[in-house]
Amino acid sequence: MDRRLMVVLSAAESADYSFADEYKGPPLPYDIPRAVPIDVDRIPLAAVAPASAGLPDLPVVHPLPSPSSSPLKKPPPPHATPAPPLPAASPTSVIENHAAMDRPGAEVSGALGSFGFPDRSTDLSEVVDSSGAIGFSDELGNGAAWSNEMMPNRLSTESALSSEFSFLSSASGDGDEDEAVALQAKKALLVTFQESGQSSCSMSPAVGVTPRARSEDLEMKTKKRACHRCLKGSRFTEKETCLACDAKYCSGCVLRAMGSMPEGRKCISCIGSPILESNRERLGRSSRVLKKLLSSREVQLVMKAEKDCEANQLRPEDVCVNGTKLSLEEMVLLQSCSCPPNLKPGLYWYDKVSGYWGKEGHKPDRIITPHLNVGGTLMQNASNGNTGILINGREITKVELQMLKWAGVHCAGNPHFWLNADGTYLEEGQKNVKGQIWEKPIMKLLCPVLSLPFPSKVANPSGEEVNNLFSRAVPDCFDTKALQKLLLVGHHESGTSTIFKQAKFLYSSVPFSEDEREDIKLMIQTSIYNYLAILLEGRERFEEESLDEQRDKQHLDSSGDVAFDKQNKVTEYSISPRLRAFSDWLLKIMASGNLEAIFPAATREYAPLVEELWKDSAIQATYSRRNELQSLPSYASYFLERVVDISRAEYEPSDMDILCADGINSSNGVTYADFPFPCLACVGSSIDDDDQQEALLRYQLIRVHTMGLGENCKWLGMFEDVRIVIFCVAVTDYDEYYEDANGMVRNKMIESRRIFEGIASHPTFEQMDFLLILSKIDLLEQKLDMAPLTLCDWFDDYNPVVSYHPDNKNRRGAQIGATKSQQAFHYIAVKFKRLFFSITGRKLYVAQANGLDGDSVDAALRYAKEIIKWEERLVCGIPESMYSTEPSSYSH
Amino acid sequence: MSVAELKERHIAATATVNSLRERLKQRQQLLVDTDMAAYGRSQGRSAISFGSTDLVCCRTLQGHTGKVYSLDWTPERNRIVSASQDGRLIVWNALTSQKTHAIKLQCPWVVTCAFAPNGQSVACGGLNSACSIFNLNSQVDRDGNIPVSQILTGHKGYVYSCQYVPDQETRLITSSGDQTCILWDVTTGQRISVFGGEFPSGHTADVLSVSINSSNSNMFVSGSCDTTARLWDTRIASRAVRTYHGHQGDVNTVKFFPDGQRFGTGSNDSTCRLYDMRTGHQLQVYSQQHDGDDNDIPTVTSIAFSISGRLLFAGYSSGACYVWDTLLAEVVLNLGELQNSHEGCISCLDLSSDGSALCTGSWDKKLKIWAFGGQRRVI
Repeated sequence: MDRRLMVVLSAAESADYSFADEYKGPPLPYDIPRAVPIDVDRIPLAAVAPASAGLPDLPVVHPLPSPSSSPLKKPPPPHATPAPPLPAASPTSVIENHAAMDRPGAEVSGALGSFGFPDRSTDLSEVVDSSGAIGFSDELGNGAAWSNEMMPNRLSTESALSSEFSFLSSASGDGDEDEAVALQAKKALLVTFQESGQSSCSMSPAVGVTPRARSEDLEMKTKKRACHRCLKGSRFTEKETCLACDAKYCSGCVLRAMGSMPEGRKCISCIGSPILESNRERLGRSSRVLKKLLSSREVQLVMKAEKDCEANQLRPEDVCVNGTKLSLEEMVLLQSCSCPPNLKPGLYWYDKVSGYWGKEGHKPDRIITPHLNVGGTLMQNASNGNTGILINGREITKVELQMLKWAGVHCAGNPHFWLNADGTYLEEGQKNVKGQIWEKPIMKLLCPVLSLPFPSKVANPSGEEVNNLFSRAVPDCFDTKALQKLLLVGHHESGTSTIFKQAKFLYSSVPFSEDEREDIKLMIQTSIYNYLAILLEGRERFEEESLDEQRDKQHLDSSGDVAFDKQNKVTEYSISPRLRAFSDWLLKIMASGNLEAIFPAATREYAPLVEELWKDSAIQATYSRRNELQSLPSYASYFLERVVDISRAEYEPSDMDILCADGINSSNGVTYADFPFPCLACVGSSIDDDDQQEALLRYQLIRVHTMGLGENCKWLGMFEDVRIVIFCVAVTDYDEYYEDANGMVRNKMIESRRIFEGIASHPTFEQMDFLLILSKIDLLEQKLDMAPLTLCDWFDDYNPVVSYHPDNKNRRGAQIGATKSQQAFHYIAVKFKRLFFSITGRKLYVAQANGLDGDSVDAALRYAKEIIKWEERLVCGIPESMYSTEPSSYSH
Repeated sequence: MSVAELKERHIAATATVNSLRERLKQRQQLLVDTDMAAYGRSQGRSAISFGSTDLVCCRTLQGHTGKVYSLDWTPERNRIVSASQDGRLIVWNALTSQKTHAIKLQCPWVVTCAFAPNGQSVACGGLNSACSIFNLNSQVDRDGNIPVSQILTGHKGYVYSCQYVPDQETRLITSSGDQTCILWDVTTGQRISVFGGEFPSGHTADVLSVSINSSNSNMFVSGSCDTTARLWDTRIASRAVRTYHGHQGDVNTVKFFPDGQRFGTGSNDSTCRLYDMRTGHQLQVYSQQHDGDDNDIPTVTSIAFSISGRLLFAGYSSGACYVWDTLLAEVVLNLGELQNSHEGCISCLDLSSDGSALCTGSWDKKLKIWAFGGQRRVI
């Protein structure tokens, strides 16, 4: 086997291209040097060189007169900090020697060759060379790997970089030039160091730059407007510009400098920084360079990323409308309206009534969609007019006055006009419309003459739909921001699915699609067979028991009767042979576990049989003893009562059926629902500002099956962006047990606690708010009478205060009862709060809900929403005490 | 026979099985007269030595806005598909490092993705318990999204892993939290066979990973939260061919050795192991001493073998990515310490089919492609 392990790696050789390929060219006339590990920390660039320190013969680069504020300014003499003594022979120098040989007479070769040696010539060019060399000595690997035939070209490009730079900097005389050079130098260095990892892709055939084209590039070396990376090309070569720093790259360098362009055309070092405003126009507009380099699909994706990514968006706080900074929502509103303004950072005024839009202190610029709820109120001096005439409270400029005159509006006596979006105007304080400004066809021609806007054809008569964000597409990055995610999680049968379905009914216009209903129908039908099978199993048990009983009785009656035949004896649990055959078959299928493989299709066929079976007295007798059947879920009877109905093919589940069904879909997958919380205040009263903001928010309720979270809640990390975790516990679980995979019987409440601990202590949710929903409170009342809470080990110290006052009990029995389950509720809540506090040191919110009761679910979810809001304000510094935290204000 | 009696018998049988298993283990240990590393050394082998520039990061694929969870290479043409927490699949051109497709998923919680052998379609699976297939050639809709061409539903738990059967575009194997693996017919969307689940000798916990033998595509191996790896024959769904014990934590990842006679596993217990299929033996354990308390043990998230099998690349949740010499069980390189390395947990890694490049995906939202540099030695 050892030998097997030593198989030679050889597959690469046959490929057209390869990430790694051995050099197979002619033998080299010099020794092959070794790659030298580079200690990043010791690359001289990083340290600020003390100008005075060091050897007198060191080259002194006189600081280029670049703006001193530039943070990227590099310390000029890299030699001042001692570079690690690198072994003389490095692959870089091989390649470079090679390169130098290809370009006879290139003065760089000497400089490059001397790179590794301790004696360094005092030549400016070399200073740059050495840093450049370090930069690509880590690049050499890829370079060598990618394509050997093109290596000379590529590397000569690199070495040309250094020579070019030295040439440039020595040539630089006047100040203007200097600045440009400084910038270029900075770029060159930056690129060399930071982008070294991104090297050499341009050499692969896929990129489509032929070696010939590149060598032509090499021919035309110009100083001005050259590529920032290779310092080649002239103003006439096609280049791509970084949107953030305006660095220009030629087609050969652009992919290396910009990498995979996650934010569009930006240098790798600029990723994350905002774009220059002057480049905003170019967003999403492809250039020829990219089209030449990449396939159309790739260009499309780059452009999409460029337009959509967050860093490239206009920041809302940079835009001021009517003296108020915009919020994100207002910004989106402005950008997505039907006639959007041309937004750039700056101060604007906006006339909400007429739709006039302009820069502060200037005449109107354009007419945008009116009635947008954006910015503050319009100021009188917004456009800095001096005519004394007001339109919608804004003093207009002379140009506008001219327009009004042409439109035939009487402006004598400095009237105050009220101009509507449709062009009708009236004098302030009067009712009758005086005319229509845009009526005259000539206005369309005259407005451009005065460089005033004319309304576009898109009619926007009413402001009703305008402020509704959800009627139109919202940019992606805003989408994710506005979505508040609520994670709903709980142990099996803790009521999470019912709460989820209830939420869908409450907040979604179409709660369940056709497909989902179909899925749920199949689920109900399958589970009804499950319930039937449990009944049949129970029947068998009961039959055996009663047979035993009979036998015992008979035994007592006539001890001599030996020939006791089971088959002949009939009990009330016996069924006919035909039904017995069906029942046996069903039980067998259940046991083998492929019920679903057979049932959905066979439902129609077996419906009559099921009906017969259900109506059989034996089954009815068993059903009447359903309390004894442990595994039959509580809601099974709801469906079993209507088993005949449900098992039909044409059965359509009602909303109630859906709520009661076990689970949401058949796959146990994560389910989620998006919805805006409908405003409570919508019922008539006015909506305050807060609600208005909120109307833009959407909520996503995500329901997760704990089963799928894995042992150590492995997958919880996927939900790190949720705002709140809603943990669901069925209070009735305290005396219920289930059997786990190892056959151990476990208390469900204890199991819930275990899961809760796991989730609360999960590192992902370190700072997360938790809301505990105690569900099935309605069932608790009956249960408490039968089984005390202390049945669960965790609750063994439960000691409720019981009122023994007889009068009280007689008079208001119902209320006393309610207190009993309330007491239990509070007790359990406090138990969980203490647990949570001991894990996280924070406070747990608790609510109660009953899945089948829409109002209680609504209340619980609104409570969750409130918690998110409180926490947001807490972050903003508003004290918590302002808000009541009922009903969870019980202390830990 | 009463239920109590049955239960008693069951308990007795379980005890017998366990004692037999223990005996088997002892027997196996007796038979081991040498280990691979010792033999290798006695034969005068020394570990591969790596200079720090021998493996360099030559591409950084940026574009995901969430943690990268999974990646897969095409067998040819060098494209990569990656799945991320941001709910997107991105298909990359590994050469230009550009995106060729970006697919926004219906269900954003995606865990795994795979490239079809013909490179025409990609599959992904996640917390929606379904495996979705996208045909890359299909027309995009108005929003630029590729429509789902097929959804494979039938799992009852989350889909943790999917892989196409090599050379068969229409066959796919998924593993799921419902303790089963399923072989699908992609064209019809039907299950061909289900491995585990109700049948005995299946996994008893979530199945996290599958790997199909490239030299005999009927065999595949699965790794599970029950700390075992199981070998399956797709023609015999009823039971696992063999069960491999040894790990002390969830088996997060399994990968066949290039020769198809062995496979490697990576686990929550921070070790990788190499198992031999024919003998059922564990050939080697690859573990590093970790100082610090038990909670800080990094888990192995993903492994890959070099084409020759001499190197084992293993990604750890600590952000380390060790290159192991499989023969001598020594770490020869840590990619996490190289220049340009990831800044977060390495969640997935894979080797291109020609073995010339390694792609790693990380929680720092980036993918990086590493290639052998300079004078590559024969490995």
